[in-house]
Amino acid sequence: MFRLDADKTVEFCDGLRRRDFLHAGSLSLLGLGMPEFLQMRAEGAARDTGKDINVIMLMLVGGPSHLDTFDMKPEAPIEIRGPHNPIKTNVPGIEISEIFPRMARHADKYALLRGCYHNAAAVHAMGHQLFQTGRLSLGGMEHPHIGSVLGYLKGANGDLPSHVLLPKIIGPTGGNFKPGQGAGYLGKRHEPFVLNADPSVADFEVPDMLPPDYLPALRVDRRRDWRAMLDRTVSKFETSQDARLLDSTFHQAYTLMTSETAREAFDLQRESEETRNRYGRNRFGQSCLLARRLVESGVRFVTVNMFETVFDEITWDIHGSPPFSPISGYRDLVGPMFDNAFTSLIEDLADRRMLDSTMIFALGEFGRTPVINPAGGRDHWPQAWSIVGAGGGIQGGQVIGSTDKIGGAPKDRPVHPSEIVATIYHQLGIGLETELPAANGRPLPIVDRGVEPVHELFA
Amino acid sequence: MTGFCGSARGFSTGASRLPAALAVVCWTVLGLSAADLSILPTTVRLHSPHARQQLLAQVASDGVQGDRTADAIWISDNPEVASVDAGGVVRPVSDGLAVIRAKADGLEAALELSVTGSGDEFSWGFRRHVIPVLTKKGCNSGACHGALAGKNGLKLTLRGYDPAADYDSLTREATARRVSLADPASSLFLLKPTMTIPHGGGKRIAVDSLEYQVLSEWIASGAPGLREDDPTVVGLEVSPREATLEPGSSQRLVVQAKYSDGSLADISRWARYSSTDAGVAEVSDEGVVTMVGRGEAAITVAYETSVLYARLTVPYDNEISEEDFSRLSVRNYIDELVLDKLRKLRIAPSAPADDSAFLRRAYLDAIGILPTAEEVEEFLADTSPDKRRDLIDSLLDRPEYADYWAYKWSDLLLVSTNSDHLNRTALWDFYNWIRDGVARNKPWDRFVQDIFASSGSSRENGALNYFVLHKDTIELAENTTQAFMGLTLTCARCHNHPLEKWTQVQYYRFANLFARIGIKTGDEPGDSVIFTKAFGDVPHPRTGRPLPPTPLEGRELALDSLDDRKLHLARWLTGEANPYFARNIVSRIWAGFFARGLVEPPDDLRATNPASNEELFDALAKDFVDSGYNVKHLIRRIMNSATYQLSSTPNASNQRDDRYYSKYQVKRLPAEVILDAMSSITGRESGFDGYPEGIRAIQLPDVQVESQFLESFGRPPRLVCDFEERSDDPSVSQALHVINGETLNGKLRADGNNIASMLKLGLSDRRILDHLFLSAFSRFPTESEQETMLGELREARAGQGSGRSRPLARREAVEDLTWALLTTREFLFNH
Repeated sequence: MFRLDADKTVEFCDGLRRRDFLHAGSLSLLGLGMPEFLQMRAEGAARDTGKDINVIMLMLVGGPSHLDTFDMKPEAPIEIRGPHNPIKTNVPGIEISEIFPRMARHADKYALLRGCYHNAAAVHAMGHQLFQTGRLSLGGMEHPHIGSVLGYLKGANGDLPSHVLLPKIIGPTGGNFKPGQGAGYLGKRHEPFVLNADPSVADFEVPDMLPPDYLPALRVDRRRDWRAMLDRTVSKFETSQDARLLDSTFHQAYTLMTSETAREAFDLQRESEETRNRYGRNRFGQSCLLARRLVESGVRFVTVNMFETVFDEITWDIHGSPPFSPISGYRDLVGPMFDNAFTSLIEDLADRRMLDSTMIFALGEFGRTPVINPAGGRDHWPQAWSIVGAGGGIQGGQVIGSTDKIGGAPKDRPVHPSEIVATIYHQLGIGLETELPAANGRPLPIVDRGVEPVHELFA
Repeated sequence: MTGFCGSARGFSTGASRLPAALAVVCWTVLGLSAADLSILPTTVRLHSPHARQQLLAQVASDGVQGDRTADAIWISDNPEVASVDAGGVVRPVSDGLAVIRAKADGLEAALELSVTGSGDEFSWGFRRHVIPVLTKKGCNSGACHGALAGKNGLKLTLRGYDPAADYDSLTREATARRVSLADPASSLFLLKPTMTIPHGGGKRIAVDSLEYQVLSEWIASGAPGLREDDPTVVGLEVSPREATLEPGSSQRLVVQAKYSDGSLADISRWARYSSTDAGVAEVSDEGVVTMVGRGEAAITVAYETSVLYARLTVPYDNEISEEDFSRLSVRNYIDELVLDKLRKLRIAPSAPADDSAFLRRAYLDAIGILPTAEEVEEFLADTSPDKRRDLIDSLLDRPEYADYWAYKWSDLLLVSTNSDHLNRTALWDFYNWIRDGVARNKPWDRFVQDIFASSGSSRENGALNYFVLHKDTIELAENTTQAFMGLTLTCARCHNHPLEKWTQVQYYRFANLFARIGIKTGDEPGDSVIFTKAFGDVPHPRTGRPLPPTPLEGRELALDSLDDRKLHLARWLTGEANPYFARNIVSRIWAGFFARGLVEPPDDLRATNPASNEELFDALAKDFVDSGYNVKHLIRRIMNSATYQLSSTPNASNQRDDRYYSKYQVKRLPAEVILDAMSSITGRESGFDGYPEGIRAIQLPDVQVESQFLESFGRPPRLVCDFEERSDDPSVSQALHVINGETLNGKLRADGNNIASMLKLGLSDRRILDHLFLSAFSRFPTESEQETMLGELREARAGQGSGRSRPLARREAVEDLTWALLTTREFLFNH
């Protein structure tokens, strides 16, 4: 049942339903429908995996130190092993850092990849680009985020956008590079829906999602009709991507406003105090809880940015001196924040039997230098680091890859971020040879040729 | 993908041939199409027994070129002096002059070259040969040994920016195992990159390659190090520099380095290539370009710290008549240069804009407000042939001009209280200085001199707050190049700029100009005193020693010079010797009138970021300098051009053109302009906390002013000097805010607003409709719009089923009509 607000008349609802139906037709014209993926299936380019898998990607902005989290080196000298100790998990042989006591009880549900590496410059945005798009943006080409590709290929699943970004975009992290969180050459209409609000504040709601009390549904409806009559699709606007997009943002706004599903999905008040506390009453914790609610309602891809930037805030970016963070921030703040949110997320998904249909990756953009620096911190180290994957068919309780004695370089099974992107596409049933229209309509495969999924994850 | 078309040019075989010095020209019998063949590069000198030069056989016909190097027959007339192989590579034999001929497509061309030093003793040099091999093969890249910490024990400087340090790493460390003079073949330097023994970076160099020869012979000759008289690269030449090509065709690029000793060498093999538009042209590691699409692409060529580019074009597949081009009637040089480009690419310009479109556009772009309904009616009724020119003049004299451009320059100068540096007093002093300069049309060079060529109290000279905002010397130096030169120097702080020509040495020479700017707290809050310190230097981080303060491409000051460094900087920065100064502001001003900058983004003047119309950019910059850095002069020139006055409605050939100015490209209005226009049309001002009643958004001196609307529509935070801080991307949040948010809804329902006045005056629906259309769109409604909307209003006014009284129903209907108008693209965009 579609209801704009509770006290309005019934005939209105019918009217809206009719219009929404008409509306759905126009959405596919805007590329928000499903044709590409259906066609791919027909052509055999897409596998039917039997179920729809949704993805939650937790961006651990700043770059967690692998030596202080998932790849401990207790045998190494103090200036390498750092201040943290390993603890046992519920899987014999797998140890993680003491800053994650709750995660240690669930190691059977996730896999650790300890041989991550990349060859690009050691700046934050490179890793962000690689994990979110599978490539570096070069030659004037800005590659699309995985979530935007899913939206492009599969369309939205119901009223909610196919890709939602919580709570805010990643801002500048030094160097003038974009972090790969947009739709790139797929066009701005495939940009994620960005929440732009803090879900941990007391009266959290999606800003302006509902009309004010003084504006009855009849008038909201009339305005929408009149706008459509006056906003003639004159040709000068059709050639401008921004102008076309502006039109589609209005369509999307109305879809969100009139969707009961959308309203419920974003309503954290429906969760018990106990649940909300379990995730942690902070921006990241509540974003993870919201992410769970969103995939339950059909959102295909949720990105959660743990931090907006790496300056003047305690983050994973532990250079040791201001404006960056000290290493002690892990134990005091960042570690517990992640431990509570991540653990609660996999607990809940497992309880709801949704872990098989929800793939989660928790990843930072690089590791940290094996040797502690003079400021007592660790600097950027893209040569080696660790990430965590769970759900969506990933076999938990395993460690893939390892690093040398000091965590300086992968020893076996190195994994490049593009392989993670390939893994996600593969497991979602999208053939890696699927082509996207890049600049000037030039077709580009969704990942570079030769990049393979990490098959061991599903062994 | 564009298919391969092959050569579309046929030549008559019965042509008569006219010999020429360097090229033999062939005319068809009918004389309709002329073709010629030439050899590139046009100057070739071989200076050593190891010298070699790739030649190109380049055919040109009807302005379309083709690379025939591989098919051509190559002959040396003087094989005792120089030989040429089947691929067009010449090698020295003995000293003298030689003529090389190429034959292709029934045409012939010749080139004379000189050979010297062919009998000289030769050895490969570390700086001149070894480092370029390491750079080309990626050994010293950031991902490999060029990383700050090196890789697997070997540390090289990024892309060889410090050859002396690299020489030490290779020859002195690791107990001489890397370079073994005793047993050259056992050097790790040779065994690793060839994967003779395991190498983390894989196989980079083949044993039978020239690269291997360079490295191995260099070791065998005793691994000579750096010499004081090592020639340095002073410039690059690329051939062809510019070419129009067939779709799908390939073109080899040849790059020559010019050295400080006057010598010339083919370094094509070791240059690095990239395409600025991978959808138009791709380039291989060897410098072979393939035209994969239509349009224009620049291929960037980088070698050591020099960069330049070749511009390659495949015209669009449009049939365009002379009449189509004549739609753009030339008013000034802007139009001529735009037309040149459009002809070359075969894109037809749109028709001229009508009076309504021009009027609305001119108001918004020049002064950031909409014309009132009365102003629209008056302009449309005016029959003077010069009315557009007169309008432009009158707009530039209005106070709103100063508000609008002061806001732009406040974005540029990061005027804001969001840092701890500026309090309200300092903010207003800084802003008032900017607005006053704009209002008086202070020449741009004098405007910037107010900052750099003065000192004293910031209360007396508000410009000095620039130094209050940027206290850190490094940040000050970097912000200055970004704001006033459009250059990002940041990379060079730690190493030579990887994408640019700036070296770390240049960076610290430049930064040292800022080292003696002193600042102390003045007599009252918000006052700072800027003075010149007698001492202070910014040391180079590796040597720990300061370098003589030197503008980027200017004259150095001795370290012990008593001259004021800031004044020295000011003279160079704002002088004609600094080409970036005028181009930076010209680019920013141009970007205020067109949706796309001459370069993109408009504040990125890197040598490797070519303009979409380089000739136009040059001409505008020259005009600006010649006018005495007169901002209003430049704006007048732009607004009076036929190019600016083109319609935004596309034709069949320019639908996709977004960079050659074949139409006025629509652009969303800035956040502040939209908000102010909503205020003026509804007659309900926004009201900003802490500011006087009636102040418009564009008059705010600060961005630390609470406004969900401005935030959502992309107001820049003014934290870093970056053109792209401001966003005009539409979003669902914006749509939700105008539909449900308080900003627009509040204005529409406010008591005593314009809607209330119109109803109180008893205006008919038709008058109301006309008035709203004129106010929001600067035009009358069309007949069909009028008919439809009057019908809708009539129905709504009746208020059937709503339970509303008739007056209330009418009020709500007019509110809803206004809302609908103010959320259309026709309102939110400039077009």
